[in-house]
Amino acid sequence: MGELLNVENINVYYGAIHAIKGVSFTVNEGEVVTLIGANGAGKSTTLQTVSGLLRSRTGSITFNGENISHIPTHKLVNKGLAQVPEGRRIFLQMTVRENLDMGAFTQKSGIDESLERVYEQFPRLKEREKQIAGTLSGGEQQMLAMGRALMSHPKLLMMDEPSMGLAPILVDQIFEIIQSLHKAGTTILLVEQNAQKALRVADRAYVLETGRIVMSGTGKELSASPEVQKAYLGG
Amino acid sequence: MEFLSYLISGISLGSVYAIIALGYTMVYGIAKMLNFAHGDVIMVGGYISLIAMMNAGLSPWVAILLAMVVCTLLGVLIEGLAYRPLRAAPSLAVLITAIGVSYLLQNSALLIFGANPKSYTPIITGTVHLFDGQLSISYVSLLTVAACIVIMVALTLFTSKSKMGKAMRAVSEDKAAAQLMGINVNSTISLTFAIGSALAAIAGVLLCSSYSTLMPTTGSMPGIKAFTAAVFGGIGSIPGAFLGGLILGIVESLSKAYISSQLANSIVFAALIVVLLVKPTGLLGKYIPEKV
Ligand SMILES: Nc1ncnc2c1ncn2[C@@H]1O[C@H](COP(=O)(O)OP(=O)(O)OP(=O)(O)O)[C@@H](O)[C@H]1O
Ligand SMILES: [Mg+2]
Repeated sequence: MGELLNVENINVYYGAIHAIKGVSFTVNEGEVVTLIGANGAGKSTTLQTVSGLLRSRTGSITFNGENISHIPTHKLVNKGLAQVPEGRRIFLQMTVRENLDMGAFTQKSGIDESLERVYEQFPRLKEREKQIAGTLSGGEQQMLAMGRALMSHPKLLMMDEPSMGLAPILVDQIFEIIQSLHKAGTTILLVEQNAQKALRVADRAYVLETGRIVMSGTGKELSASPEVQKAYLGG
Repeated sequence: MEFLSYLISGISLGSVYAIIALGYTMVYGIAKMLNFAHGDVIMVGGYISLIAMMNAGLSPWVAILLAMVVCTLLGVLIEGLAYRPLRAAPSLAVLITAIGVSYLLQNSALLIFGANPKSYTPIITGTVHLFDGQLSISYVSLLTVAACIVIMVALTLFTSKSKMGKAMRAVSEDKAAAQLMGINVNSTISLTFAIGSALAAIAGVLLCSSYSTLMPTTGSMPGIKAFTAAVFGGIGSIPGAFLGGLILGIVESLSKAYISSQLANSIVFAALIVVLLVKPTGLLGKYIPEKV
Protein backbone atom coordinates (compact mmCIF):
# COMPACT_ATOMS: atom_id res chain seq x y z
CA MET A 1 0.00 0.00 0.00
CA GLY A 2 1.83 3.09 -1.26
CA GLU A 3 1.65 6.54 0.14
CA LEU A 4 -0.79 8.66 -1.87
CA LEU A 5 -0.76 11.89 0.08
CA ASN A 6 1.96 13.14 2.35
CA VAL A 7 1.49 16.42 4.16
CA GLU A 8 4.69 17.48 5.85
CA ASN A 9 4.89 20.27 8.41
CA ILE A 10 2.46 22.80 6.97
CA ASN A 11 1.88 26.20 8.56
CA VAL A 12 -1.07 28.22 7.29
CA TYR A 13 -2.01 31.76 8.22
CA TYR A 14 -5.03 33.98 7.68
CA GLY A 15 -3.29 37.33 7.93
CA ALA A 16 -2.00 37.35 11.48
CA ILE A 17 -4.01 34.29 12.54
CA HIS A 18 -1.87 31.18 12.68
CA ALA A 19 -4.51 28.57 11.81
CA ILE A 20 -2.39 25.48 11.10
CA LYS A 21 0.71 24.93 13.21
CA GLY A 22 3.10 22.36 11.80
CA VAL A 23 0.65 19.70 10.73
CA SER A 24 1.91 16.46 9.15
CA PHE A 25 -0.05 13.40 8.12
CA THR A 26 -0.27 10.76 5.41
CA VAL A 27 -2.96 8.96 3.48
CA ASN A 28 -2.10 5.61 1.94
CA GLU A 29 -3.62 4.23 -1.21
CA GLY A 30 -7.01 2.62 -0.61
CA GLU A 31 -7.42 4.00 2.90
CA VAL A 32 -10.16 6.04 4.46
CA VAL A 33 -8.47 8.54 6.73
CA THR A 34 -10.46 10.91 8.85
CA LEU A 35 -9.54 14.22 10.39
CA ILE A 36 -11.66 15.03 13.40
CA GLY A 37 -11.68 18.04 15.66
CA ALA A 38 -13.84 20.73 17.21
CA ASN A 39 -15.14 23.81 15.41
CA GLY A 40 -12.28 26.02 14.33
CA ALA A 41 -9.63 23.33 14.83
CA GLY A 42 -8.38 23.84 11.28
CA LYS A 43 -9.87 20.89 9.41
CA SER A 44 -11.22 22.86 6.46
CA THR A 45 -8.08 24.96 6.34
CA THR A 46 -6.03 21.77 6.04
CA LEU A 47 -8.12 20.44 3.15
CA GLN A 48 -8.02 23.77 1.35
CA THR A 49 -4.26 23.83 1.69
CA VAL A 50 -3.97 20.38 0.14
CA SER A 51 -6.12 21.51 -2.79
CA GLY A 52 -4.06 24.68 -3.20
CA LEU A 53 -6.78 27.20 -2.41
CA LEU A 54 -4.65 28.20 0.57
CA ARG A 55 -0.85 28.05 0.72
CA SER A 56 1.42 26.84 3.48
CA ARG A 57 4.43 28.94 4.44
CA THR A 58 6.52 25.88 5.19
CA GLY A 59 6.89 22.20 4.46
CA SER A 60 5.54 20.29 1.50
CA ILE A 61 2.52 18.46 0.17
CA THR A 62 3.28 15.40 -1.92
CA PHE A 63 0.56 13.73 -3.92
CA ASN A 64 1.21 10.50 -5.81
CA GLY A 65 4.95 11.11 -5.57
CA GLU A 66 4.81 14.68 -6.87
CA ASN A 67 5.31 17.85 -4.85
CA ILE A 68 2.08 19.80 -5.40
CA SER A 69 2.74 22.60 -2.89
CA HIS A 70 3.00 25.20 -5.64
CA ILE A 71 0.68 23.80 -8.28
CA PRO A 72 -2.43 25.90 -8.97
CA THR A 73 -5.71 24.40 -7.79
CA HIS A 74 -7.20 23.97 -11.25
CA LYS A 75 -4.34 21.68 -12.32
CA LEU A 76 -4.87 19.21 -9.49
CA VAL A 77 -8.07 17.60 -10.76
CA ASN A 78 -6.19 16.02 -13.63
CA LYS A 79 -3.67 14.60 -11.21
CA GLY A 80 -6.48 12.77 -9.45
CA LEU A 81 -7.45 15.03 -6.57
CA ALA A 82 -11.07 16.01 -5.98
CA GLN A 83 -12.74 17.83 -3.13
CA VAL A 84 -16.27 18.01 -1.81
CA PRO A 85 -15.98 21.41 -0.18
CA GLU A 86 -17.50 22.46 3.12
CA GLY A 87 -21.03 23.71 2.59
CA ARG A 88 -21.30 21.81 -0.74
CA ARG A 89 -20.56 24.82 -2.94
CA ILE A 90 -22.52 23.45 -5.87
CA PHE A 91 -23.40 25.88 -8.67
CA LEU A 92 -26.86 26.89 -7.54
CA GLN A 93 -27.98 28.53 -10.76
CA MET A 94 -26.94 25.65 -12.97
CA THR A 95 -28.83 22.43 -13.51
CA VAL A 96 -27.92 19.16 -11.84
CA ARG A 97 -26.54 17.86 -15.12
CA GLU A 98 -24.51 21.02 -15.71
CA ASN A 99 -23.02 20.71 -12.24
CA LEU A 100 -21.97 17.16 -13.02
CA ASP A 101 -20.53 18.31 -16.35
CA MET A 102 -18.41 20.82 -14.45
CA GLY A 103 -17.12 17.97 -12.33
CA ALA A 104 -15.88 16.36 -15.54
CA PHE A 105 -14.53 19.64 -16.92
CA THR A 106 -11.01 18.33 -17.46
CA GLN A 107 -12.01 14.84 -18.62
CA LYS A 108 -11.29 14.15 -22.26
CA SER A 109 -13.33 10.97 -22.55
CA GLY A 110 -15.49 8.56 -20.63
CA ILE A 111 -17.83 11.29 -19.40
CA ASP A 112 -20.95 9.29 -20.25
CA GLU A 113 -19.67 6.30 -18.28
CA SER A 114 -18.85 8.49 -15.28
CA LEU A 115 -22.28 10.02 -15.49
CA GLU A 116 -23.88 6.61 -15.54
CA ARG A 117 -21.92 5.48 -12.49
CA VAL A 118 -22.82 8.62 -10.57
CA TYR A 119 -26.49 8.23 -11.48
CA GLU A 120 -26.33 4.62 -10.33
CA GLN A 121 -24.90 5.72 -7.03
CA PHE A 122 -27.38 8.59 -6.69
CA PRO A 123 -30.58 7.72 -8.59
CA ARG A 124 -32.20 10.86 -7.24
CA LEU A 125 -29.80 12.99 -9.25
CA LYS A 126 -30.89 11.29 -12.44
CA GLU A 127 -34.53 12.06 -11.70
CA ARG A 128 -33.58 15.67 -11.10
CA GLU A 129 -31.18 15.98 -14.02
CA LYS A 130 -32.72 19.15 -15.44
CA GLN A 131 -33.61 20.81 -12.15
CA ILE A 132 -31.80 23.98 -11.10
CA ALA A 133 -29.43 22.92 -8.33
CA GLY A 134 -30.47 25.77 -6.03
CA THR A 135 -33.94 24.26 -5.77
CA LEU A 136 -32.73 20.84 -4.59
CA SER A 137 -33.18 19.87 -0.96
CA GLY A 138 -30.15 20.02 1.31
CA GLY A 139 -29.57 16.28 1.11
CA GLU A 140 -29.90 16.25 -2.66
CA GLN A 141 -27.44 19.12 -2.85
CA GLN A 142 -24.96 17.10 -0.81
CA MET A 143 -25.38 14.14 -3.14
CA LEU A 144 -24.81 16.45 -6.08
CA ALA A 145 -21.63 17.78 -4.48
CA MET A 146 -20.37 14.23 -4.03
CA GLY A 147 -21.45 13.14 -7.49
CA ARG A 148 -19.77 16.16 -9.00
CA ALA A 149 -16.48 15.34 -7.31
CA LEU A 150 -16.72 11.71 -8.47
CA MET A 151 -17.12 12.75 -12.11
CA SER A 152 -13.34 13.16 -12.41
CA HIS A 153 -12.52 9.62 -11.19
CA PRO A 154 -10.36 10.91 -8.36
CA LYS A 155 -7.54 8.88 -6.87
CA LEU A 156 -8.09 10.81 -3.66
CA LEU A 157 -11.46 12.18 -2.67
CA MET A 158 -11.42 14.79 0.08
CA MET A 159 -14.73 15.43 1.79
CA ASP A 160 -15.38 18.27 4.18
CA GLU A 161 -18.27 17.45 6.51
CA PRO A 162 -20.49 15.64 4.01
CA SER A 163 -23.06 14.91 6.70
CA MET A 164 -23.44 18.47 7.88
CA GLY A 165 -27.02 19.58 8.34
CA LEU A 166 -28.56 16.31 7.19
CA ALA A 167 -31.27 14.24 8.83
CA PRO A 168 -30.00 11.05 10.55
CA ILE A 169 -31.29 8.78 7.79
CA LEU A 170 -29.42 10.79 5.18
CA VAL A 171 -26.29 10.81 7.31
CA ASP A 172 -26.41 7.02 7.33
CA GLN A 173 -26.85 7.02 3.61
CA ILE A 174 -23.85 9.31 3.10
CA PHE A 175 -21.70 7.01 5.24
CA GLU A 176 -22.91 3.98 3.30
CA ILE A 177 -21.81 5.68 0.13
CA ILE A 178 -18.42 6.46 1.66
CA GLN A 179 -18.06 2.80 2.53
CA SER A 180 -19.04 1.63 -0.92
CA LEU A 181 -16.57 4.06 -2.50
CA HIS A 182 -13.94 2.69 -0.14
CA LYS A 183 -14.75 -0.88 -1.22
CA ALA A 184 -14.47 0.17 -4.85
CA GLY A 185 -10.92 1.29 -4.12
CA THR A 186 -11.24 5.07 -3.81
CA THR A 187 -8.91 6.64 -1.30
CA ILE A 188 -10.74 9.05 0.97
CA LEU A 189 -9.73 11.85 3.30
CA LEU A 190 -12.75 12.62 5.39
CA VAL A 191 -13.30 15.62 7.62
CA GLU A 192 -16.18 15.16 10.03
CA GLN A 193 -17.91 16.62 13.05
CA ASN A 194 -19.68 13.32 13.46
CA ALA A 195 -16.63 11.66 15.02
CA GLN A 196 -18.41 8.47 15.98
CA LYS A 197 -19.50 7.61 12.47
CA ALA A 198 -16.27 8.87 10.94
CA LEU A 199 -14.12 6.71 13.21
CA ARG A 200 -16.24 3.71 12.38
CA VAL A 201 -15.59 3.92 8.63
CA ALA A 202 -12.00 5.12 8.94
CA ASP A 203 -8.90 2.94 8.68
CA ARG A 204 -6.92 5.63 10.43
CA ALA A 205 -7.68 8.96 12.05
CA TYR A 206 -6.01 12.14 13.21
CA VAL A 207 -7.33 14.46 15.89
CA LEU A 208 -6.81 18.15 15.23
CA GLU A 209 -6.90 20.67 18.05
CA THR A 210 -6.35 24.41 17.47
CA GLY A 211 -4.18 23.85 14.45
CA ARG A 212 -2.14 20.92 15.80
CA ILE A 213 -2.46 17.18 15.47
CA VAL A 214 -2.72 15.94 19.03
CA MET A 215 -3.48 12.28 18.44
CA SER A 216 -3.47 9.67 15.72
CA GLY A 217 -4.15 5.99 15.32
CA THR A 218 -6.50 3.50 13.75
CA GLY A 219 -10.20 4.22 13.85
CA LYS A 220 -10.64 1.54 16.51
CA GLU A 221 -7.84 2.83 18.70
CA LEU A 222 -9.17 6.35 18.72
CA SER A 223 -12.75 5.26 19.32
CA ALA A 224 -11.49 3.42 22.38
CA SER A 225 -9.32 6.26 23.66
CA PRO A 226 -10.75 7.93 26.77
CA GLU A 227 -9.61 11.40 25.65
CA VAL A 228 -11.37 11.09 22.32
CA GLN A 229 -14.46 9.65 23.95
CA LYS A 230 -14.59 12.54 26.37
CA ALA A 231 -13.98 15.29 23.84
CA TYR A 232 -15.71 14.05 20.70
CA LEU A 233 -17.92 11.09 21.40
CA GLY A 234 -19.91 12.63 24.19
CA GLY A 235 -18.87 10.01 26.67
CA MET B 1 -45.79 57.35 -39.22
CA GLU B 2 -43.65 59.88 -37.41
CA PHE B 3 -43.97 57.84 -34.26
CA LEU B 4 -42.92 54.70 -36.08
CA SER B 5 -39.87 56.41 -37.40
CA TYR B 6 -38.83 57.58 -33.91
CA LEU B 7 -39.53 54.13 -32.57
CA ILE B 8 -37.30 52.55 -35.18
CA SER B 9 -34.47 54.94 -34.51
CA GLY B 10 -34.93 54.16 -30.82
CA ILE B 11 -34.68 50.45 -31.50
CA SER B 12 -31.55 50.99 -33.52
CA LEU B 13 -29.96 53.18 -30.83
CA GLY B 14 -31.10 50.66 -28.25
CA SER B 15 -29.44 47.86 -30.18
CA VAL B 16 -26.09 49.64 -29.91
CA TYR B 17 -26.64 50.11 -26.17
CA ALA B 18 -27.56 46.45 -25.92
CA ILE B 19 -24.36 45.31 -27.64
CA ILE B 20 -22.31 47.47 -25.27
CA ALA B 21 -24.40 46.41 -22.29
CA LEU B 22 -23.76 42.74 -23.10
CA GLY B 23 -20.05 43.39 -22.66
CA TYR B 24 -20.63 45.18 -19.36
CA THR B 25 -22.92 42.53 -18.03
CA MET B 26 -20.70 39.57 -18.96
CA VAL B 27 -17.65 41.12 -17.36
CA TYR B 28 -19.67 42.04 -14.29
CA GLY B 29 -21.22 38.59 -14.09
CA ILE B 30 -17.89 36.82 -14.18
CA ALA B 31 -15.29 39.17 -12.75
CA LYS B 32 -17.78 40.94 -10.42
CA MET B 33 -16.38 44.30 -11.44
CA LEU B 34 -17.63 47.32 -13.35
CA ASN B 35 -15.25 47.85 -16.20
CA PHE B 36 -15.74 51.58 -16.68
CA ALA B 37 -13.15 51.54 -19.45
CA HIS B 38 -15.54 49.45 -21.55
CA GLY B 39 -17.03 52.55 -23.21
CA ASP B 40 -13.60 53.76 -24.23
CA VAL B 41 -12.80 50.48 -25.93
CA ILE B 42 -15.73 51.40 -28.20
CA MET B 43 -13.94 54.60 -29.12
CA VAL B 44 -10.72 52.70 -29.84
CA GLY B 45 -12.71 50.37 -32.11
CA GLY B 46 -14.03 53.46 -33.91
CA TYR B 47 -10.55 54.89 -34.53
CA ILE B 48 -9.05 51.59 -35.62
CA SER B 49 -11.81 51.01 -38.14
CA LEU B 50 -11.55 54.63 -39.34
CA ILE B 51 -7.82 54.34 -39.93
CA ALA B 52 -8.27 50.99 -41.62
CA MET B 53 -10.85 52.39 -44.03
CA MET B 54 -9.49 55.90 -44.60
CA ASN B 55 -5.72 55.57 -44.35
CA ALA B 56 -5.22 51.95 -45.33
CA GLY B 57 -8.11 51.82 -47.78
CA LEU B 58 -9.37 48.50 -46.48
CA SER B 59 -12.93 47.36 -47.02
CA PRO B 60 -15.39 48.09 -44.20
CA TRP B 61 -15.70 44.40 -43.31
CA VAL B 62 -11.96 43.98 -43.00
CA ALA B 63 -11.93 47.18 -40.95
CA ILE B 64 -14.50 45.75 -38.54
CA LEU B 65 -12.49 42.58 -38.21
CA LEU B 66 -9.32 44.53 -37.54
CA ALA B 67 -11.09 46.69 -34.94
CA MET B 68 -12.35 43.53 -33.24
CA VAL B 69 -8.89 41.99 -33.14
CA VAL B 70 -7.26 45.13 -31.75
CA CYS B 71 -10.00 45.68 -29.16
CA THR B 72 -9.88 42.04 -28.09
CA LEU B 73 -6.16 42.30 -27.47
CA LEU B 74 -6.63 45.63 -25.73
CA GLY B 75 -9.35 44.19 -23.47
CA VAL B 76 -7.23 41.20 -22.51
CA LEU B 77 -4.24 43.48 -21.91
CA ILE B 78 -6.25 45.85 -19.69
CA GLU B 79 -7.56 42.92 -17.69
CA GLY B 80 -4.15 41.33 -17.28
CA LEU B 81 -2.23 44.50 -16.41
CA ALA B 82 -4.74 46.59 -14.53
CA TYR B 83 -7.37 44.31 -13.01
CA ARG B 84 -5.74 40.93 -12.44
CA PRO B 85 -3.26 42.22 -9.84
CA LEU B 86 -6.29 43.54 -7.92
CA ARG B 87 -8.23 40.29 -7.85
CA ALA B 88 -8.15 40.11 -4.06
CA ALA B 89 -8.40 43.89 -3.55
CA PRO B 90 -11.51 45.70 -2.31
CA SER B 91 -13.97 46.42 -5.11
CA LEU B 92 -13.59 50.17 -4.64
CA ALA B 93 -9.91 49.90 -5.59
CA VAL B 94 -10.88 48.02 -8.75
CA LEU B 95 -13.52 50.61 -9.60
CA ILE B 96 -11.07 53.48 -9.24
CA THR B 97 -8.57 51.59 -11.39
CA ALA B 98 -11.22 51.11 -14.07
CA ILE B 99 -11.96 54.84 -14.07
CA GLY B 100 -8.21 55.43 -14.36
CA VAL B 101 -7.97 53.09 -17.35
CA SER B 102 -10.89 54.93 -18.93
CA TYR B 103 -9.07 58.29 -18.65
CA LEU B 104 -5.86 56.70 -19.87
CA LEU B 105 -7.57 55.49 -23.04
CA GLN B 106 -9.34 58.81 -23.65
CA ASN B 107 -6.19 60.84 -23.16
CA SER B 108 -4.09 58.52 -25.27
CA ALA B 109 -6.62 59.00 -28.06
CA LEU B 110 -6.48 62.75 -27.49
CA LEU B 111 -2.71 62.65 -27.83
CA ILE B 112 -2.70 60.49 -30.94
CA PHE B 113 -5.76 61.69 -32.84
CA GLY B 114 -6.32 65.20 -31.43
CA ALA B 115 -9.44 66.69 -29.90
CA ASN B 116 -11.22 67.57 -33.12
CA PRO B 117 -14.04 65.30 -34.17
CA LYS B 118 -13.18 63.22 -37.23
CA SER B 119 -15.84 62.54 -39.77
CA TYR B 120 -16.68 58.88 -40.09
CA THR B 121 -18.02 57.40 -43.29
CA PRO B 122 -20.71 54.85 -42.47
CA ILE B 123 -19.71 51.29 -43.30
CA ILE B 124 -22.82 50.99 -45.43
CA THR B 125 -24.82 53.83 -46.89
CA GLY B 126 -28.31 54.04 -48.24
CA THR B 127 -31.87 53.88 -46.96
CA VAL B 128 -34.95 51.82 -47.55
CA HIS B 129 -38.11 53.79 -48.20
CA LEU B 130 -41.42 52.37 -47.13
CA PHE B 131 -45.03 53.54 -47.42
CA ASP B 132 -44.37 55.73 -50.47
CA GLY B 133 -41.36 57.28 -48.87
CA GLN B 134 -43.13 58.30 -45.67
CA LEU B 135 -40.91 56.07 -43.63
CA SER B 136 -37.22 55.73 -44.29
CA ILE B 137 -34.83 53.47 -42.48
CA SER B 138 -31.09 53.60 -43.00
CA TYR B 139 -29.20 50.42 -43.79
CA VAL B 140 -26.98 51.20 -40.82
CA SER B 141 -30.03 51.00 -38.54
CA LEU B 142 -31.08 47.70 -40.03
CA LEU B 143 -27.56 46.32 -39.77
CA THR B 144 -27.35 47.45 -36.14
CA VAL B 145 -30.56 45.72 -35.13
CA ALA B 146 -29.59 42.56 -37.02
CA ALA B 147 -26.12 42.53 -35.46
CA CYS B 148 -27.62 42.93 -32.01
CA ILE B 149 -30.00 40.02 -32.45
CA VAL B 150 -27.31 37.75 -33.87
CA ILE B 151 -24.93 38.62 -31.02
CA MET B 152 -27.57 38.10 -28.38
CA VAL B 153 -28.57 34.68 -29.74
CA ALA B 154 -24.94 33.62 -30.17
CA LEU B 155 -24.05 34.62 -26.61
CA THR B 156 -27.07 32.86 -25.19
CA LEU B 157 -26.17 29.66 -27.01
CA PHE B 158 -22.54 30.00 -26.03
CA THR B 159 -23.20 30.37 -22.31
CA SER B 160 -25.90 27.72 -22.15
CA LYS B 161 -24.48 25.05 -24.45
CA SER B 162 -20.72 25.28 -24.82
CA LYS B 163 -18.26 23.90 -22.32
CA MET B 164 -16.42 27.20 -21.93
CA GLY B 165 -19.69 29.05 -21.62
CA LYS B 166 -20.77 26.79 -18.78
CA ALA B 167 -17.37 27.24 -17.18
CA MET B 168 -17.95 30.99 -17.32
CA ARG B 169 -21.21 30.61 -15.44
CA ALA B 170 -19.49 28.39 -12.90
CA VAL B 171 -16.78 31.01 -12.37
CA SER B 172 -19.42 33.70 -12.04
CA GLU B 173 -21.12 31.77 -9.25
CA ASP B 174 -18.19 30.52 -7.23
CA LYS B 175 -14.55 31.01 -8.18
CA ALA B 176 -13.09 28.62 -5.60
CA ALA B 177 -15.49 25.82 -6.49
CA ALA B 178 -14.78 26.42 -10.19
CA GLN B 179 -11.06 25.99 -9.53
CA LEU B 180 -11.75 22.73 -7.74
CA MET B 181 -13.46 21.56 -10.96
CA GLY B 182 -10.25 22.25 -12.85
CA ILE B 183 -11.40 25.50 -14.42
CA ASN B 184 -8.67 28.09 -14.87
CA VAL B 185 -10.33 31.18 -13.45
CA ASN B 186 -7.82 33.67 -14.84
CA SER B 187 -8.11 32.46 -18.40
CA THR B 188 -11.89 32.33 -18.12
CA ILE B 189 -11.93 35.97 -17.05
CA SER B 190 -9.57 36.84 -19.91
CA LEU B 191 -11.91 35.14 -22.34
CA THR B 192 -14.80 37.18 -20.99
CA PHE B 193 -12.89 40.40 -21.50
CA ALA B 194 -11.95 39.26 -25.00
CA ILE B 195 -15.58 38.66 -25.93
CA GLY B 196 -16.79 41.89 -24.31
CA SER B 197 -14.11 43.93 -26.08
CA ALA B 198 -14.79 42.36 -29.46
CA LEU B 199 -18.43 43.35 -28.98
CA ALA B 200 -17.33 46.85 -28.02
CA ALA B 201 -15.47 47.09 -31.34
CA ILE B 202 -18.60 46.14 -33.25
CA ALA B 203 -20.61 48.64 -31.23
CA GLY B 204 -17.97 51.28 -31.99
CA VAL B 205 -18.22 50.80 -35.72
CA LEU B 206 -22.03 50.82 -35.65
CA LEU B 207 -22.21 53.84 -33.37
CA CYS B 208 -19.77 55.89 -35.45
CA SER B 209 -21.60 54.84 -38.59
CA SER B 210 -24.87 56.21 -37.31
CA TYR B 211 -23.38 59.40 -35.80
CA SER B 212 -20.85 59.95 -38.63
CA THR B 213 -18.36 61.50 -36.23
CA LEU B 214 -15.73 60.28 -33.85
CA MET B 215 -13.71 61.89 -31.07
CA PRO B 216 -11.82 60.69 -27.97
CA THR B 217 -14.88 61.01 -25.73
CA THR B 218 -17.24 59.29 -28.17
CA GLY B 219 -17.47 56.13 -26.10
CA SER B 220 -18.05 57.64 -22.73
CA MET B 221 -21.74 58.66 -22.84
CA PRO B 222 -22.90 55.52 -24.69
CA GLY B 223 -20.78 53.55 -22.24
CA ILE B 224 -22.56 55.05 -19.26
CA LYS B 225 -25.95 54.55 -20.88
CA ALA B 226 -25.16 50.96 -21.72
CA PHE B 227 -24.08 50.43 -18.15
CA THR B 228 -27.43 51.88 -17.13
CA ALA B 229 -29.11 49.50 -19.56
CA ALA B 230 -27.26 46.56 -18.04
CA VAL B 231 -28.36 47.52 -14.52
CA PHE B 232 -31.85 48.27 -15.77
CA GLY B 233 -32.17 44.80 -17.28
CA GLY B 234 -30.51 43.08 -14.32
CA ILE B 235 -26.73 43.14 -14.26
CA GLY B 236 -25.19 39.78 -15.05
CA SER B 237 -28.15 38.72 -17.19
CA ILE B 238 -27.68 38.44 -20.95
CA PRO B 239 -31.34 38.79 -21.95
CA GLY B 240 -31.55 41.56 -19.36
CA ALA B 241 -28.83 43.56 -21.09
CA PHE B 242 -30.59 43.08 -24.40
CA LEU B 243 -33.95 44.18 -23.05
CA GLY B 244 -32.47 47.02 -21.00
CA GLY B 245 -30.58 48.36 -24.00
CA LEU B 246 -33.62 48.29 -26.24
CA ILE B 247 -35.92 49.97 -23.70
CA LEU B 248 -33.34 52.63 -22.95
CA GLY B 249 -32.83 53.40 -26.63
CA ILE B 250 -36.56 53.67 -27.23
CA VAL B 251 -37.16 55.84 -24.14
CA GLU B 252 -34.33 58.12 -25.19
CA SER B 253 -35.49 58.45 -28.77
CA LEU B 254 -39.13 59.09 -27.89
CA SER B 255 -38.23 61.57 -25.15
CA LYS B 256 -36.06 63.46 -27.62
CA ALA B 257 -38.90 63.58 -30.09
CA TYR B 258 -41.88 64.32 -27.89
CA ILE B 259 -40.59 65.86 -24.68
CA SER B 260 -37.28 67.62 -24.95
CA SER B 261 -33.94 66.69 -26.39
CA GLN B 262 -32.24 68.42 -23.45
CA LEU B 263 -34.16 66.36 -20.95
CA ALA B 264 -33.81 63.04 -22.78
CA ASN B 265 -30.80 61.88 -20.77
CA SER B 266 -32.39 62.86 -17.47
CA ILE B 267 -35.48 60.90 -18.40
CA VAL B 268 -33.38 57.87 -19.24
CA PHE B 269 -31.67 57.94 -15.85
CA ALA B 270 -34.94 58.66 -14.05
CA ALA B 271 -36.37 55.52 -15.65
CA LEU B 272 -33.43 53.58 -14.23
CA ILE B 273 -34.06 54.93 -10.75
CA VAL B 274 -37.74 54.00 -10.92
CA VAL B 275 -36.99 50.45 -12.04
CA LEU B 276 -34.40 49.97 -9.33
CA LEU B 277 -36.79 51.26 -6.69
CA VAL B 278 -39.47 48.84 -7.77
CA LYS B 279 -37.19 45.91 -8.53
CA PRO B 280 -33.68 46.31 -7.11
CA THR B 281 -32.25 43.43 -9.14
CA GLY B 282 -33.34 45.01 -12.43
CA LEU B 283 -35.95 43.75 -14.86
CA LEU B 284 -34.58 40.23 -15.37
CA GLY B 285 -32.07 40.06 -12.54
CA LYS B 286 -32.61 37.04 -10.38
CA TYR B 287 -31.94 36.30 -6.81
CA ILE B 288 -31.62 32.69 -5.76
CA PRO B 289 -31.48 32.22 -2.02
CA GLU B 290 -28.90 29.84 -0.67
CA LYS B 291 -30.10 26.70 1.08
CA VAL B 292 -28.53 26.05 4.42
N1 LIG C 1 -11.06 33.37 5.96
C1 LIG C 1 -10.60 33.35 7.23
N2 LIG C 1 -10.09 34.46 7.78
C2 LIG C 1 -9.61 34.44 9.04
N3 LIG C 1 -9.62 33.38 9.83
C3 LIG C 1 -10.13 32.25 9.34
C4 LIG C 1 -10.65 32.17 8.02
N4 LIG C 1 -11.09 30.92 7.80
C5 LIG C 1 -10.86 30.25 8.95
N5 LIG C 1 -10.28 31.04 9.87
C6 LIG C 1 -9.86 30.64 11.22
O1 LIG C 1 -8.98 29.55 11.13
C7 LIG C 1 -9.28 28.59 12.13
C8 LIG C 1 -9.54 27.25 11.48
O2 LIG C 1 -10.72 27.31 10.70
P1 LIG C 1 -11.30 26.10 9.87
O3 LIG C 1 -12.38 26.60 9.02
O4 LIG C 1 -10.17 25.39 9.21
O5 LIG C 1 -11.89 25.19 11.03
P2 LIG C 1 -12.67 23.81 10.95
O6 LIG C 1 -11.88 22.84 11.75
O7 LIG C 1 -12.96 23.45 9.55
O8 LIG C 1 -14.00 24.18 11.72
P3 LIG C 1 -15.52 23.72 11.47
O9 LIG C 1 -15.68 22.37 12.04
O10 LIG C 1 -16.32 24.71 12.23
O11 LIG C 1 -15.76 23.75 10.00
C9 LIG C 1 -10.45 29.12 12.92
O12 LIG C 1 -9.97 29.71 14.08
C10 LIG C 1 -11.06 30.17 12.00
O13 LIG C 1 -11.62 31.20 12.77
MG1 LIG D 1 -14.69 23.35 8.49
